[in-house]
Amino acid sequence: MNQLTNSTSGRSTLRGVREAIPLLGGYIPVSLSFGLVATQAGFSTWEAAVISLLIYAGASQFLFVGMVAAGSPLWLVVVLTLLINVRHVVYGPNIAAWLPRSRHWPWLMHGLTDQVFALAHTRLPQLPESERFGWFLGVALLAWGVWIVGTVVGATAGETLTAYWPLLGEIMPFALPALFLTMVAPRVTDKRWALALGCTIASALFFTLYGWSNVAIPLAAACGAISFYMVRFYPRKSTL
Amino acid sequence: MSTGLWLAVIASALGTLLIRVVPFLWMQRRLGSETGLNSIPQWISILGPLMIAAVLGVSLVPVNPGVISWVATAIGLFVTLLVWLRVRTMGLPVAAGVAVFGLVLIGVALAG
Repeated sequence: MNQLTNSTSGRSTLRGVREAIPLLGGYIPVSLSFGLVATQAGFSTWEAAVISLLIYAGASQFLFVGMVAAGSPLWLVVVLTLLINVRHVVYGPNIAAWLPRSRHWPWLMHGLTDQVFALAHTRLPQLPESERFGWFLGVALLAWGVWIVGTVVGATAGETLTAYWPLLGEIMPFALPALFLTMVAPRVTDKRWALALGCTIASALFFTLYGWSNVAIPLAAACGAISFYMVRFYPRKSTL
Repeated sequence: MSTGLWLAVIASALGTLLIRVVPFLWMQRRLGSETGLNSIPQWISILGPLMIAAVLGVSLVPVNPGVISWVATAIGLFVTLLVWLRVRTMGLPVAAGVAVFGLVLIGVALAG
């Protein structure tokens, strides 16, 4: 029986690993860039790797090394890093109902990044309950591992890699919008949701283009929520 | 790194972890309680899909924004959506979208 449970868990973990592969299209180039930026800012390879291992939050890591390199006060670096990550507050509650209770969550939730959340929010309700823990484990560990390895590779050979394959760094990141599109599309179930989601995407794009990428996600979600609560569509009254 | 910098890394890491863990555990406890507070507040369940849409919006900006990369993005998204409408899964639409996006960029680079 125990063996059966273990093999089911192993299968679901592998399934999670397989389904997380599209995320790597975004993780690899960004982690390579982070490794490169961190070494250019004066951090050693293993210091950059430790930052990726412990903080593990893309945008805030770039801000962290940038502010440290600029000589900002460390308390301000910590406060701004946490402010950027505060959007993660709503991620856990959104997937809590689909995950079983486990003593491993306090460390496993370390892997709940924007991308892992988006994938989990879409896939967890479609999976049998017995497979959800293993699936999340597979997704979270693959993404985390690749992020750390990518940082090390970027710190040691980032400049050489980008010089050899300049287009690869442009093409791979497109896996992320493509993946998120397949997650958003099924949620367009009526006009109200279509407007709220469209408003969110447009405002996130706007904020990012105008240099507000660090706060674009929570601000855009707030715009979408305002649209969702303010605009309602009523069925047309029949004139006959 | 200096001791102060190490402390900043640890404080940022611990704070980020708490931001991710505490709300999750709070909701799991709330869902399992017998006090009637066993449903997810509506605003949280609405913010979930909106956060994903926001991540999509942020990720739409190409690495090197320009006319060609924006056109490639539009074509790539269109193909992704078309394939998704046919198969309703994630893997194939993403692969098709990335392939078309890449082909457009490489095609333009070769032609130029």
